[in-house]
Amino acid sequence: MKVAKIIHDKDNVATALIDIAAGEQVKSRSKGNELIYTCNQDVPFGHKIAIVEIRSGEKIVKYGHPIGSAMQDIKAGDWVHVHNVRDDYKVLDKDGRPFPGQDS
Amino acid sequence: MKFYGYPRPDGKVGARNHVVIMPTTGCVNAVCHHIEKLIRGTKALPHHQGCLHPPRDTEQVTRTLINLGKNPNVAGVLLVGLGCEMVVCEQVLEGVRESGKPVDLVVVHQIGGMLDTVNKGAKIAAEMVLEASAMRREETGLDKLCFGTKCGSSDTTSGLSSNLVVGELCRIMTENGGKFIQGEICDIMGGEYALKKLCPNEEHGERIVDFVRDLYLRGVAMGADVRGAQMTAGNVAGGLTTLVEKALGANAKGADVPIQSSVHYGEIPLGPGRHIMDIPGHGFENLVGLAAGGAILHIFTTGRGAPNGNPLLPTIKVCGNAKTNVTMREHIDVDVSSIIGETESVATAGQRLYKYAIDVANGKMTRAEILNFDGTMEILINGPVI
Repeated sequence: MKVAKIIHDKDNVATALIDIAAGEQVKSRSKGNELIYTCNQDVPFGHKIAIVEIRSGEKIVKYGHPIGSAMQDIKAGDWVHVHNVRDDYKVLDKDGRPFPGQDS
Repeated sequence: MKFYGYPRPDGKVGARNHVVIMPTTGCVNAVCHHIEKLIRGTKALPHHQGCLHPPRDTEQVTRTLINLGKNPNVAGVLLVGLGCEMVVCEQVLEGVRESGKPVDLVVVHQIGGMLDTVNKGAKIAAEMVLEASAMRREETGLDKLCFGTKCGSSDTTSGLSSNLVVGELCRIMTENGGKFIQGEICDIMGGEYALKKLCPNEEHGERIVDFVRDLYLRGVAMGADVRGAQMTAGNVAGGLTTLVEKALGANAKGADVPIQSSVHYGEIPLGPGRHIMDIPGHGFENLVGLAAGGAILHIFTTGRGAPNGNPLLPTIKVCGNAKTNVTMREHIDVDVSSIIGETESVATAGQRLYKYAIDVANGKMTRAEILNFDGTMEILINGPVI
């Protein structure tokens, strides 16, 4: 069985520690328990897999912090990357407004 | 846990015992090299700054030179000046003297040329080495141990293994009274608000956000979006999706250890625990800033194998990439590829790294030291170069 690492208890994604192919069973340790799920797409080493369902607009959480937002509904076992995650990060001025020109 | 280090007159403790030959301007680097070659046990610290700076940079270079001289790994300092540079060499002399350590100054214009300056400087340095060589390590607490953290030549394994292990080390060290300094504002970018939450003192937290803003705006002034430059095609291919994810992976080197203060480049942060310094990611300026800040060890994570160390800081390379641990073996001190293989927990690997770091503080040589892979000394300036 292939292994993916959950870094923080709050995370909703795991990171593949080896290349995983669509349909393969994946094992992750979560809060002391073993979580076993099926990988829905090919996920290369270092890439992320959803360990729970993540609805469009919800945050992707890794290292215990939000790293971006889901651009579509993501099922448990789905590959999570730039095709379905939006980078929300903007550099903000002292009043909390994004500096202009950061749309790309 | 204790370590054995060299006690200094100002109460600090060093992990190494260097007599340094330090120029106050890059114009006299050659003089420093000649003295280093003549006198065993000395270390030249050549750099390229000291003149034709705006006042803010002159101040920053002066502060950095003084604090490098005060670094606990330094037993004695011979300063070499040219005599016309913007950095006032007598000011550096007085600054280093506050530490109570042996310090002296030779100035090429006053003595009249390189050869006589080398002659005079070498005689002074020889006496300093004689004195330093008689010093003995003494047992001391971890409250005297300050280290820096950084990642370089990172890859997918860094945020998954080595950075997590260093985070564990930081937790253990600070729980035992130790101190560490983290810089790399470029890597903090995206994770600054997560770090701000770790600051009990709001002013320091806001200053970390300011460091990131300042970096972003300096990029804009040069026509560059630093956010885009930080997130490379290689990062995306490796599995990183957003800049925040990348930053959190880099910041994992400090785990969730609370942040006590934020300081400017080359300043010495006060008190134990975790501190953030306004330092770029570029290794040469980075390690010099940490050394000026009082670090006596450096913990450097790498994925592909960054070989550089620093003249003053024993630099421990920690790598989680099993392949790199074979191909770049001569450069890697601690192999944590066990985390990717899931044969060792982060907590256990953290304990292993902790023991290794104490061994290095006690005098065990790092691979960068053994290979004389000291790295280039560079002091950060903001420019413009005049």
